[in-house]
Amino acid sequence: MKKIYLLLTAALLVLALFPPVQAEDLSQIRAILEKIDAQSRFEGTDFSAVLTLIIEDPEEGIEKMVVRQFRRDDGERYLLLIQEPVTQRGQGYLLEGDNLWFYDPSSRQFAHTSLKETFQDSDVRNADFSSTSWSSSYEVEGYYEGTLGSFDVHIIELKAVDDTVPFPYATLWVTKDTNLVLKVEEYSLTRRLMRSALFPKYAKVGEAVIPVQMVFLDELVEGKKTQVSLSEISVAKIPDHVFTKAYIERVNR
Amino acid sequence: MFTLKVAFRNISRQKKRSFLLAGAIAFGMLVITMINALTGGLVENIRDNFAHALGGHVFITGREFNERGQMVTRIRPDQRLDELLTEHAPEITAFTKRSQALPSLIFGSKQTMHLVYGVDFQEEDKLLSSLVVTEGSLEDVLSLENAVILPQPAAERLGVEVGETILIKLETLTGQHNVGELLVTAFVEDQERFGISAAYVSRAYLNSLLGLGPEEYQMLNMFLTDLSLVESFTRSFREGLLAPGEEQEEEEPAATVTVGGVSLDPVPRQERISRWQGTRYRVMNINQIMEPVELAVGVLNRVGLVIFIILLLVTMVGITNTFRMVLLERTKEIGTMRAFGMHRRQVQLIFLWEAVLLGLVGCAAGLALSGLIVLVVGNLPLNVDPSLQFFLKQGRITFRLSPGSALLNMSLVVFTSLLAAYWPSRAAARLSPIKALSSHT
Repeated sequence: MKKIYLLLTAALLVLALFPPVQAEDLSQIRAILEKIDAQSRFEGTDFSAVLTLIIEDPEEGIEKMVVRQFRRDDGERYLLLIQEPVTQRGQGYLLEGDNLWFYDPSSRQFAHTSLKETFQDSDVRNADFSSTSWSSSYEVEGYYEGTLGSFDVHIIELKAVDDTVPFPYATLWVTKDTNLVLKVEEYSLTRRLMRSALFPKYAKVGEAVIPVQMVFLDELVEGKKTQVSLSEISVAKIPDHVFTKAYIERVNR
Repeated sequence: MFTLKVAFRNISRQKKRSFLLAGAIAFGMLVITMINALTGGLVENIRDNFAHALGGHVFITGREFNERGQMVTRIRPDQRLDELLTEHAPEITAFTKRSQALPSLIFGSKQTMHLVYGVDFQEEDKLLSSLVVTEGSLEDVLSLENAVILPQPAAERLGVEVGETILIKLETLTGQHNVGELLVTAFVEDQERFGISAAYVSRAYLNSLLGLGPEEYQMLNMFLTDLSLVESFTRSFREGLLAPGEEQEEEEPAATVTVGGVSLDPVPRQERISRWQGTRYRVMNINQIMEPVELAVGVLNRVGLVIFIILLLVTMVGITNTFRMVLLERTKEIGTMRAFGMHRRQVQLIFLWEAVLLGLVGCAAGLALSGLIVLVVGNLPLNVDPSLQFFLKQGRITFRLSPGSALLNMSLVVFTSLLAAYWPSRAAARLSPIKALSSHT
């Protein structure tokens, strides 16, 4: 009997702390997701920056990578050119809609790759270099309010609408006042935490608001993480020919 | 018979010369026999090791399109397949239905990519008895859903102990991330000598991580009772598994997704692939895999044959010269035999028999020497690089010589010996008895 009381009390506590999502709340949360996606996009402008990645691997040690990114969200295009380390200089990724190509100057070959894949040996995925699509790829499974550090946040639990996204479940910590994603946890199909991403610093670039510092933690391999920081940010117009295979080949000559 | 006796006596009279001639022939025979036997053994070992590594002589995979147009590797329970298996049961010694993935195995801060087979341990009882356990026990794999049998080197790379839990990170058939927990129940001796090193888990558990149903699988591998049945067996399954409206293709279209982390799409999606309904099967056999190996071995054998023919030509010149010398030495003897009534034909036959006997003795010596070398080398355990183990059988070189090729080599030797002795024998037969008797040589 005691056990039943305990269980009932626990259930009531859970309900009090995490009330079930109401339809009204859901539409509000969906609107937040849409805002997050909208402000991550560069509408009408191009974007370029230098990305510095510090990859920490308990087995391999610490590695620094410097990547120049050119991005045009109109047409879902980006070009990533590796500048450091010297041994990988000239390698590039070209995204054209759904097609992502990897270019290796040593073989002078383009190989088809995927947005789901990790970038080099880091914890960053190729999809992390483009705008987000939380509102179209996921549906809200749960929602509650909380704090993260000194920020009041919406904590939004998401479930993928289909199996096209690599992570079937995700949880977002979004600031209440500015709709900035401070933290993301991504889960496997068996609901095991696989990756956490922290976004401690944002910058307004043109009309978009983008994280300029990111930390990606591999939650399966102890001590594996990647820090990304952005510099030399620009929204200047990028020539069309930059988003071509010929350009990657040419810059390597 | 008389001519054979005289020929034998002549050979015995000049022991040193006969020994050198037969020795030259034996050397040629030794070289070609060793090359043939070595390549024969190589092919056999590679075929056996491939069959062991791949888990059969005939392999069937199934492909289908999912609702989003992705091609996935999956075999669902299929009546056609079951009927074919029942029909061909007498030709099959064993078959396995497996799933597979190339996931990351993670323990603490260490991870390694490793091939993992999903096995029905109840069905594959022979697998458990064939594994050499170095630590732990195989008893639990039948009862524990997430038990894993790890090859020793993989366990060492991860630094895991028996009884500990490791993580398995993979992608589902549609490319979503998934993670499971595996309980390490045993370490086994590595199968890397067969070119493959795999961990084994329950098929049902791996299927649940891959997004396959419990009764589904990805590969059906069959061991046959007789390797000569491989081609007809394969044909029978290809025809039997053909879907209505499907044509047999030599070139299969490229797949478009990754299966358990194994990329099936190394090139961009082929636009010409048209979707089909249901499962299409691909039936392959060990001979298809062995084709390039056999081609390479065929080249080696041909090189060996060229060397053998060159050696024979050199020996042939030696035999011709020797017989011309013999002719000079025996001129008086030939004259005497002719004076006593021996026919020209008989004189020629003596020479030819000598050549045949020399050839046969040389062949026999060559074969005997090869046998001796095979016996010694074949019993030496070789501690070579693991990649070379694929060419060996239990760490030893094996030799296989088909009676056909041995007979062919012997025929070549005897024929060239006869050819070499022909002109001196004809000259001996044409000698006039009077001139021969009056000769001073």
